[in-house]
Amino acid sequence: MNRMSKLLSNTWVRVAVVVVVAALLLIAPLVLPVFANQTLTRMGVYAVAVLGLNIIMGYTGQVMLGQIFFLGVGAYVTAYGVNNDWNIVVTFFAACILPGLLGLVIALAAARLGGLAIAMVTIALPIIGVPLAKRLTDLTGGSQGTSARFSSAPDWTGLDNDQWQYYMVMVITVIGFVLAYNLVRGKFGRAMAIVRDNEAVARSIGISPYRYKVMAFTIASIFGGASGFLYMVAVQYTSPETMSFAHSISLLAAMVVGGAASIAGSLIGGVYYVLVPQVTNAIDPTVTAISQGIILVAVLFILPGGLVSLPRVIRRLTRKRDTAVATSPQTTSPMHQDAGQAAEGPETERQGQS
Amino acid sequence: MDTFIQLVIDGLALGSVYAALALAIVLVNQSTGLINFSQGAMAVLSAYFAYVLIGWGFPTILAILGSIVVSFLLGAIVERLLIRRFEGGDPDTAVVVTIGLLTLFTGIAGWIWGYNNRQFPSLFPLETVDILGAVVSVRSIGTTLTIVGIMVVLQLLFQGTKLGLALRAVAINPSSAAYSGLPVGRLLMIGWGLAAALGAVAGALVAPALTLTPGMMDTALVYALAAVIIGGLNSPLGAVVAAWGIGVLENLAAVYVPFIGYDLKIAVPFIILFVVLLVRPQGLFGRKVVVRV
Repeated sequence: MNRMSKLLSNTWVRVAVVVVVAALLLIAPLVLPVFANQTLTRMGVYAVAVLGLNIIMGYTGQVMLGQIFFLGVGAYVTAYGVNNDWNIVVTFFAACILPGLLGLVIALAAARLGGLAIAMVTIALPIIGVPLAKRLTDLTGGSQGTSARFSSAPDWTGLDNDQWQYYMVMVITVIGFVLAYNLVRGKFGRAMAIVRDNEAVARSIGISPYRYKVMAFTIASIFGGASGFLYMVAVQYTSPETMSFAHSISLLAAMVVGGAASIAGSLIGGVYYVLVPQVTNAIDPTVTAISQGIILVAVLFILPGGLVSLPRVIRRLTRKRDTAVATSPQTTSPMHQDAGQAAEGPETERQGQS
Repeated sequence: MDTFIQLVIDGLALGSVYAALALAIVLVNQSTGLINFSQGAMAVLSAYFAYVLIGWGFPTILAILGSIVVSFLLGAIVERLLIRRFEGGDPDTAVVVTIGLLTLFTGIAGWIWGYNNRQFPSLFPLETVDILGAVVSVRSIGTTLTIVGIMVVLQLLFQGTKLGLALRAVAINPSSAAYSGLPVGRLLMIGWGLAAALGAVAGALVAPALTLTPGMMDTALVYALAAVIIGGLNSPLGAVVAAWGIGVLENLAAVYVPFIGYDLKIAVPFIILFVVLLVRPQGLFGRKVVVRV
């Protein structure tokens, strides 16, 4: 175990691991069957949505229940742009910016009331969004939905459609993850963390919790819109059902199961979102909802940091056993605790009841 | 004019269902500082309990009373076994737990009873009466009066009994309540149980109109949350008044504002909510909460 972690801390080994993973991701679609490619593509789509949710919920600590709404808006904007022959780049930016503006307006009102107001307001978004999408038939195609075929592989690539879609989604997903990584590592990320941990402290050092909540929410909705664009790349069709309430809850569950306040956790969340319903649906469609509830509650009980914290927890447990015989029982130093890790842990953050 | 009266009274009945759920949410929030997003799903489970009891041949009223008792126990058990662990910790985690419970309870209902609509008998006769020339269903009046009755009982419980006093003490300051010898844990269980029982009433009142499905209360939950925000999180009266207001206004808007219609009337409370949050973020009846650092 010890030798293993020493090996992993070697820079060259890390670089090698990254290179191997990148190469695998690049080669995978060329050798995998169509269904596997489509599944991987959808994982990328939802990873971006979960990433956005993580920025507002994991990093800034504001429970948000309407991320699927922004995905839906992004998908509709994409469909509208494609069907009206907009340039694809313009369409992409429109699919990011329009949900972003919507998110900004919603956050300006919702963040006014502290505490859980954002959760209570955003839970309504999918529930209003579905009838609204059905009503605005001219823009959305009503209940039948609308399709937009723009992600077929160009001839010069010699790729199949599923491979081309995979690469498109992967490029945008990787860019999104790099942007988010830099965002949460920087000044902005530290400001979000302090807003999450203690609003009074944030205010006292000149960080306006209101402003940062609104900004984080807007960024989350932009990511939601981008994932809507990717959704259209992958699925080429959207209907009001895309943004149903149940999907919104699943997205939140995926974020928590993957790992709150963790970039890698968002990726795991995307994988979870696609994979688990596929498995449970194959067993018995009626158990999908119940298994999701059980998994979410169980993760919160056993592994509040999400799946991404699993290696750390295992390491801590094994180290505890090693050193229990030797010297002091105090083994885990707070230095090893990733700053973001504290987000969902009930053991941390125990502020005095005043 | 008669359409107007009819719409108002039907709106009050609808609002009463939201009010019951909103009261349950306020009750939990007052005692534990949480928003229980699974309140609606628990109400659905309660309605299914009543449905099963009716299936066993119990009269409707007894079945509903039975489901209220079972729901009380369910609420208390949920608090003790699941929520207790997250109390006093990060409130966001506890809220996510209730969201998990929302999926879990909906899933349980769907798993046991399936996702098909089921008929649920009404507690009130399906007759109508004339009020100032308007035709009003007895069900609407009965639903509204039931909620008024429950409010009076709750008010008596909280203001006039020792149990109510203890519950209020725990809500205001759990640690001081514990120091003065109150069984805080048991009182929290009672609070959650009462909330679940209220939810059971809401479920039984709304099930005949909507027919019984696992997702029956999702929309009602959203209305109830809107009512809670508009009325003020710490004001039971405010929540009920807001819920009635929402019920009446959305019914009127559905008929008199052509763009909204019946399918978009759920947007109405959120337009109100938007305005309220911008103008008076603590809610119409709420007090500003000041947190000491």
